[in-house]
Parts: sequence; C-alpha cells; structure tokens
Amino acid sequence: MEGNVKEKRPRFCVNDHVDILMEILKRLDGRSLCVSACVCRLWCTIARNDSLWEHLCFRHASPPPSSGVRPVIVALGGYKRLYMVCVRPVLSRLGRLRIAGDSDRDRRVWTRDGVQLSLSLFCVDYYERLGRLGGGGDASGGSSLMFLCKPVNV
Amino acid sequence: MKREHQETIGGAGSSNGNKAESSSSSMATGKGKLWVEDDQDAGGMDELLAVLGYKIKSSEMADVAQKLEQLEMVLGSEDGFSHLASDTVHYNPSDLSGWVQNMLSEFNNLPSTDLDSSILLSNNQDSQPSTITSLDFSNNSQSKVFVDDSEYDLRAIPGVAAYPQKEFDKSNDRKRMKLTPDGSNTAPALAVNSLQSSNSSCSTSSSPQAIMAVSGTLSEPTRPVVLIDSQETGVHLVHTLLACAEAIQQENLKFADALFKLIGPLASSQAGAMRKVATYFAKALARRIYKIFPQDYYLDSSYSDTLEMHFYETCPYIKFAHFTANQAILEAFANASRVHVIDFGLKQGMQWPALIQALALRPGGPPTFRLTGIGPPQPDNTDALQQVGWKLAQLAQTIGVKFEFRGFVANSLADLEAEILDLRPPEVEAVAVNSVFELHRLLDRPGDIDKVLGSIKAMRPKIVTIVEQEANHNGPVFLDRFNEALHYYSSLFDSLEGSGLTPPSQDLVMSELYLGRQIYNVVACEGADRVERHETLAQWRTRFGSAGFDPVHLGSNAFKQASMLLALFAGGDGYRVEENNGCLMLGWHTRPLIATSAWRPAAGDSQLRVNSAEFELPSQ
Repeated sequence: MEGNVKEKRPRFCVNDHVDILMEILKRLDGRSLCVSACVCRLWCTIARNDSLWEHLCFRHASPPPSSGVRPVIVALGGYKRLYMVCVRPVLSRLGRLRIAGDSDRDRRVWTRDGVQLSLSLFCVDYYERLGRLGGGGDASGGSSLMFLCKPVNV
Repeated sequence: MKREHQETIGGAGSSNGNKAESSSSSMATGKGKLWVEDDQDAGGMDELLAVLGYKIKSSEMADVAQKLEQLEMVLGSEDGFSHLASDTVHYNPSDLSGWVQNMLSEFNNLPSTDLDSSILLSNNQDSQPSTITSLDFSNNSQSKVFVDDSEYDLRAIPGVAAYPQKEFDKSNDRKRMKLTPDGSNTAPALAVNSLQSSNSSCSTSSSPQAIMAVSGTLSEPTRPVVLIDSQETGVHLVHTLLACAEAIQQENLKFADALFKLIGPLASSQAGAMRKVATYFAKALARRIYKIFPQDYYLDSSYSDTLEMHFYETCPYIKFAHFTANQAILEAFANASRVHVIDFGLKQGMQWPALIQALALRPGGPPTFRLTGIGPPQPDNTDALQQVGWKLAQLAQTIGVKFEFRGFVANSLADLEAEILDLRPPEVEAVAVNSVFELHRLLDRPGDIDKVLGSIKAMRPKIVTIVEQEANHNGPVFLDRFNEALHYYSSLFDSLEGSGLTPPSQDLVMSELYLGRQIYNVVACEGADRVERHETLAQWRTRFGSAGFDPVHLGSNAFKQASMLLALFAGGDGYRVEENNGCLMLGWHTRPLIATSAWRPAAGDSQLRVNSAEFELPSQ
C-alpha cells in the first residue's frame, strides 16, 4: 500500500470530539471511569464532569429519580461523591445479596427505596462533615458511613 | 419417644442440673439445630450425639433416657442446687451414661460400686478398669454439704446442714479423683483443667483400690473446679453472676462478695462478647456490693453524646430508630405546608438531616420546617442546642428548605409545658413529637410520665414517634432486672461482635462503653439515679392506650427501608426486622432489641378543642 493514500484520509482522534468521548465514557462502570481519568489531562477533566457520574449513579434506577434531585445532590457534594461514598457500596452490597447466583451480571436494578436510602445516607454524611469543618467535631474522623466502607464478608 | 429423649438430653446436659433458661445461649442453639433426624447406628455409638460430643451406645439410649428423666425429677424436687453450686467437681458429660449414673447415685446415696461398670468399660476404648468413677456413699448418710477450703471460701451456704469439722480435716488429704471412664477422652478434658496440676496427673494407671478408698468420703478435693470446656465455664459464669445478684437481693453481702471474687477468673476464661458482658456486669455488681456510686451518669452529656456517636456509627440500632421514625413523620406530613417537629432529645441532631432531605425531595416541594429541640443543661454552659440548630440550618439552606430552630433546656421532660413551645394551631402547622430513648427516664416518679403524655396531647400532634429499648429493666425485683439485663446486653454485645470491625477499633470500644454505662445504671443504681428504666413495647402500648392515644401503623415503606438499611451492615444477616402489630422491632437473631412505634391522640377527644382558644392565629 502506498503511504500517500493513507495520509490523505483524515486521522481520527477521539480527543478532538469531546461529545463522542463523553458518550463513550458515560457507558463505563465506576472503576473504568476512574481509570480513564488517568489517561491524559483531557480525559481527566472530562471524567470530573458530574453529569457522567450522575448517569452512572442512576443508570439502573427504576423509576429514575426526578429532576428535583439534582440541585440537592449537587449542593450536598455532587454525584461523584455520591457514587463513591454511597451508591457504590450500597449497590454492591444489595446486589450481592439479591443476585446470589448470578455474579457476572453487572447491572443492578434498584428501586426508589434504595435511591432514597442512599440519598439519606449521603445527607447524613454531609451533615457530619459540617460538624467536623466547624471545629466542633472530634479529630478521630469517625463517619457514620464508615460501616459502608468496611469489607463485608458475604 | 426418641424425640423427647433427645430433648431431655439437651435439657439436662446443657443445664448441668440447673435452670435451663440460664444456660448460655450458645449451647442451646448449638444443640437445638441438630435434632432433626433420627438415623442411628445400631451397634456403635450414636452418630448424632457423637457429633455433639456425647458418647453413648445406641443400645443404651433408652436406659440413659430413663435415667435422665429420673435425674431431672430428682433435681427438680429437692434442693439439689446448693449441693451442686458448691460441688466443685464436674464429671465429664461426654460419657453420658456414666455421668447420669454418677449424678443419680450422688442424689440417691446408692452404693454404686456396682455401677454399670460393664457399660463404662465397654465404652472405654482402652478398657482400663481403674478408670471407673465410683462413688461409695454408703459410709456417709449426710451428703448435702461440700466444704471447700480453698481460697474461695464458700462455707456459708444457706439452708444446708453444716459439715462436721473433724471429718473435714481428714478429707483434706483425700482428693477425690474424677476420672473419665472413656480413656480416649481423658487428654483433652484434663488439659483444660488448668487449675489442678496434681489432679491432672491422676492418670488412668491408678489402681482401683486407691480410688475405692478415696471415694469413701464425701469431702471435696481442696482445689476447685475441674473445668471441662469453656461452654461449661460459660454456663458456670452465668450462674455465678445470677447467684451473686441473688445474694445481693437477699442482702447477704458477705456471700455476694465471695461469689464476686469467683467471677473474675471465670470471666477471663471466656472470649469475645461473653467476656465483655461479664466484665461489665461484674463491675456493676461490685459497685452495688461495695456501694460505690459515681455520680457521673448524666452529668457529662457531651461525653455521653460522643459515646453515642460511636455507637451510632458502629451498629444500626440508632440509625434504624431514626429512619423508621422519619418515615412515619414523613407520611404524616404528607400534605402539610408548614411542619413542626418537637424532638425530646436533640443530642447531635443526627436524625434530622435525612428528614430535611426527604422533605426537600417531596413531590410538591418542601414545606417550612420548624424544629424544636429539647436537651439537658450543659455543665459548662455552652449552648449545645444552638450549635446543633445552626448546623441543621446550614444544611437546610444548602438544599433549599426553609428552616427555623428553637432549643429548650430542661432537666426533665416533665418540666415542659405545651404553652412554652409556641405552637401554632393544627390547621396551620402539622406537629410531630419524636422521642428516641428518652421516655423511659421519666419512669422513676410515677406522675412524670403521665404529665408528659398529657403535655404531648396538649400539643395536638399529628403523630408521635417513640423508640424504646425492648426489655423490662424496670421491674421491682432486683434479680429479675438483673436477669433481663444480662440477656438483653448479651445479645447487644453479640451483635457488636458480629459487626465485623477489627477488635481494637476505637469505635467498638466506645460503643461497648456506651452500653456498659447503661449496664452500670441498670444494675448498680437505685431511685432517682437509675434512669435506664426500660420497658417493653407491650408496656408502652398499655401506657399510651390508657393515656388516650391510638396507634398508627408504620407502613411497608418503613419496613422496606429498614430491611435495606440492615442489609448494608456487615453481619447484616444477624439483624432482624420484625413487624409487630404496626410497630417495627429490630433484633439480633431471635431477640428483639429496640422497638419503634407511632401514635396519635385518640380521635374525638373533646378536651382538645377547648385548648384551641389559647392559641392566637398567626398573622399571615
């Protein structure tokens, strides 16, 4: 093949098309999204976009939460934090319990109650951080969401 | 027939001759699960029982069963307990037929040289005739007293004839050696017997004559307790704790003191939750015996708040309380545009962020949320209530809910009057009253709780949410309280143990201390100092019912949320949510530990309408 013919075709670099990139990243799972943030600076900036994480959080929620949820979550710390602190552990624990024999299924459908529970825990977490920032909290750094971080032996 | 035979073994074996209900739960659950099938090996040992550690020939089962029934009758009828309480020699119950025979012969004073030695020998793998445990009681007709001259001097056993002193001296030299007839089992049994180096050397090689001679007297060896395994020690520990409590109840403080000294070594031989519970109860008993009453329980509320925060983080009880109460309040506030919550114990206000957030996400938009928090006076005059209120206000502002806060300091809820609270009429504002672990403190003075219930009615709430411990720690008899508390806190500590935290975690220690302080209060304090006067849901139901409240059923949403919450906790399969006539109870395995209930003033109470004249309508 002639090298000239090849050079005439425009080279496609996904970094030039941020919207396509976002569409792709939107479909990743949490871990992959975090890994993708390490690829390059552009990807890092995009991965920080909260809408990606919003999609990740409530992708499998049925029914999907109303739009009024967004300002609350943003105010309490954003979707990325919500995912890391609440949604990921909640889903993994609830999913493990329900889909006992079906471990390769990644999709976990969760109900409005689960969403509500995660939001409540997220709110409690925000409240506790308020207390610690205000200087009134104790230095031990305890958090009421610590129980979510501890490994569960299932 | 076989079924009841098995249960008899379970009952007698695990209780070791004492009340079955006080045996440690681990034994009961361990044995209870296996009574399923009945397939037995015809010729050899019964397989099912062998799994549990009991060696019985299948052919002897019927005989042993009969003897166990006899034994149960004998123990039930006469005062065999004190006999056993001081008898510090235990037989190895692994060889069940030998054990039961020995127990029976002790009671019946039968000459037992012709013990079913054939049976014992046939069980014994090594078939050493010297290993018979034979008790020849024929020389001695009074067999009730065992005087133990060891450092645990338990001579003073009420109601039993005194043992003549001279015979006691003779008996010092004769150590009655209890050997297990099952030679193969000797090593592990005696290995656990750490207190008796001399007795452990009594191997299977002793001659029969020596043993026969020894068994001529009834006196005890000078060293106490041949402990076979820690399950037995656990049972023994519980019995000693209960015996000590009983002694205190009977004002026999000297005896209580002697028993108390026994508890230490027993407790340290246990592991995990049992050891911690026993230690706390022992310390509480010590406070009661020696009359040490540190006045620290309710003075330093910031310290107890810190402990409670650690308890909040470690285990789901308080979270369960908050979530279920919030759900009930949320449903009651369904269409109101102004809501007002009165919290009888604000503490750190951990309950309210979740409610504020749920109100913010309400389909029709958030209402105006007023919160009135009530708290105890602070020793250093800081305004803890205002600080909490400020934090909540910040949160509310962040998520866009209009918020007002007022704090009231009160020594006791009975000091509160509905008028001070600046309530608006129910058409304008929906009121909810919330009390998490607060009402039981009022039960010391009988008029207080009625006054508070009356005030609650005067507030005309739409809903009253109550969360209380599910236990009766307020009975008039100390021993009953002690018994209840022992079981209740054992379950609680078990659940903490199962929470999957690595042992040296500070959270775990603080949570245990939080519970420990409650134990001290229940056991060691009296009168106005004893504030942890827990009562059961049934008792609260009666109180609320007679005070003119109707129950409100907590819906299935609350149940689902609670179940989901518990599933998140490590050890989540140990926690159980139960629904009890519209109330929700959270428990550990089969034992309910806290209960949430909701109430509203009974409909058609005409007195309420009279009060509406007192309130001015707010200017809009």
